[in-house]
Amino acid sequence: MSKAMGRVIQQNRKEILAGWHGKALALFSEKMARGTPIFDLLHEAMGMILDGFEEGGESCTEGLSSFSRIFAIHPFPPSRSMRLFFELQTILMAFVSDDESRDLLQTRIKEIMLEACDDFMAHREKIYQLKVEERQRSMFMALRRAEG
Amino acid sequence: MSKYLPKLSDLKKDFEDKPSILKGDYSKKEWWDTPFEFRDGNWSFPAKPEVVEELGFPNSRKWSALDDDWKLPADWQKTISEGLKVRLKKYRSLKLYLDSCVRCGACADKCHFFLGTGDPRNMPVVRAELLRSVYRNDFPLVEKILQGFSGSRKLTSEVIKEWHMYYYQCTECRRCSVFCPLGIDTAEITMVARELLNLIGVNNNWILAPVANCNRTGNHLGIEPHTFVQNIESLVEDIEDMTGVTVNPTFNRKGAEILFITPSGDVFGDPGVYTMMGYLLLFHHIGLDYTISTYASEGGNFGMFTSNDMMKKLNAKMYHEAERLKVKWILGGECGHMWRVVHQYMNTMNGPADFLQVPVSPITGTKFTNAAATKMVHIAEFTADLIYHKKLKLDPRRNDHLKTTFHDSCNVARGMGMFEEPRFILDNVCNSFHEMPENTIREQTFCCGSGSGINSEENMEMRMRGGFPRANAVKHVKDKHKVDSLVTICAIDRASLPALMKYWNPGVTVYGLHELVGNALVMEGEKKRTEDLREHPMTGFDDEEGDVD
Repeated sequence: MSKAMGRVIQQNRKEILAGWHGKALALFSEKMARGTPIFDLLHEAMGMILDGFEEGGESCTEGLSSFSRIFAIHPFPPSRSMRLFFELQTILMAFVSDDESRDLLQTRIKEIMLEACDDFMAHREKIYQLKVEERQRSMFMALRRAEG
Repeated sequence: MSKYLPKLSDLKKDFEDKPSILKGDYSKKEWWDTPFEFRDGNWSFPAKPEVVEELGFPNSRKWSALDDDWKLPADWQKTISEGLKVRLKKYRSLKLYLDSCVRCGACADKCHFFLGTGDPRNMPVVRAELLRSVYRNDFPLVEKILQGFSGSRKLTSEVIKEWHMYYYQCTECRRCSVFCPLGIDTAEITMVARELLNLIGVNNNWILAPVANCNRTGNHLGIEPHTFVQNIESLVEDIEDMTGVTVNPTFNRKGAEILFITPSGDVFGDPGVYTMMGYLLLFHHIGLDYTISTYASEGGNFGMFTSNDMMKKLNAKMYHEAERLKVKWILGGECGHMWRVVHQYMNTMNGPADFLQVPVSPITGTKFTNAAATKMVHIAEFTADLIYHKKLKLDPRRNDHLKTTFHDSCNVARGMGMFEEPRFILDNVCNSFHEMPENTIREQTFCCGSGSGINSEENMEMRMRGGFPRANAVKHVKDKHKVDSLVTICAIDRASLPALMKYWNPGVTVYGLHELVGNALVMEGEKKRTEDLREHPMTGFDDEEGDVD
């Protein structure tokens, strides 16, 4: 499936990406317009995920990290962000006809979604790490003195 | 320019469809009907009761934005209403700004918080409308008959909650005002709204605690005079260890030619202390006759984020100390909002400082006529003048381990129009400097997302959203030119951008401009230098060939 799926994605990339990107933009409480940095970065990240959909690799990993980094600081629940991968599955299902390909597609979507979950949590942990580090930096001279 | 910018056909479709910024159930409703919610990461803790009491501000109590009941004082509506009337009379600009907006929308997508959140209340036009809608409620009969027609609404506790959320999602950066055809300064509306909120005890601890510290000790961090001196002496020892040169700052010395004032973050926090080391090296290099005050030990002024009266009070110490120490003029360090206060308000607020002289560089003889009124010169102007007159021995190769870009600090760029001096300095102290995209620098610079006192830890997620447009511009030069160093001339930037970079652009480090000056300065009698002020190895200086002639 995977090679066939990769080919399907490349042949219909513009249409698939537009549909999926639109679903992501719809998550935001109000309009996230064209030309805004989030519009652009999401477009880029989701494109990278699609390009690496077939076999994973650097493009997919980087895209997932970028994708999760955006959603990890927005106020909607993680499940809402992760649901986007089910949306992608629905979009891609329209392009495959046989059961075997559908099963393989579902498996791949699950793999990607789990990787995205890990990324999401890593970015949440990063937020807390940033708070600690910022506090340390703000007290730099006091800590230095305390450490002798 | 974004490669995803809309095509003409897209714009035409948008125009014909006339999509609302409000979606779904709210598309046919007023903007104020859309819900907003205080959640972890989008609000800052209110001021502690003891802080409020120390300042003599009203309604000290324990409360949280998550509470249903904010324990507002019994007569809070009257306080706000009368407070607004007083300020409309006092500040002509406020009335002008509230009356003149035509809702053209030119500002709408210019705010970094709107770009980072997509929340329509973060459009500057709507943020101003939060207050304007209450201001318009002077005509309640019209409103009663034609509900929504006049754009007015009643002042309820929900409105106060909304103000608290969104006036603390404005960093008073004034990017929106650059694009306003009528010149409306939304930052001033935010300043008044915050002032009104403080009248009823709706406040922010990250602002009022530094204000109380500054009111008590002279600086935001609450550093006592002896600690202030010890910290700088500790940096002097670091400089000696690294360069072999002993610099000799003096404190509270009467009769010095120049009083040097910088944000206290430069004396206490990382990476500000490295910028301070740069100043100390520079002053020693040119033999400047200067002193540092342990009372006027803060350049910044969080009073600006509180009330006009508090801003005036905290600013007054600069001239008081200059007069007491009988200096000729004042030199100011790298800071953002400090320079908006100094450049735009200080002279009329606490001046004229007739006891001071129009600043003249003792090294080059340059008269800083731009500072003729305030008698206070920005360190970047001072240093740029020194470099222009070839008074500094610089080796830019000492910064070859850094690939830099420059972040224009909002208040210095838009508040005093300083664009070229820091770039001129950077061009002379390092060999690798790359500009971020044109629409994100100079007067169009994007805010760090943490200015105006919203740099609290608990507000981190919102800061990451608000700072995203800036981070995105840094990403551009990081990808294109392998930039790894973000240079800035603002203390809040130095405090907040490291977190922003670590989140959005791991691998990019934040530097103060004068830290790079300190790296590049070739000091008389120095020992062989192989490390920068952070004790990081310099490229090409680990062997004899790399040594300076």
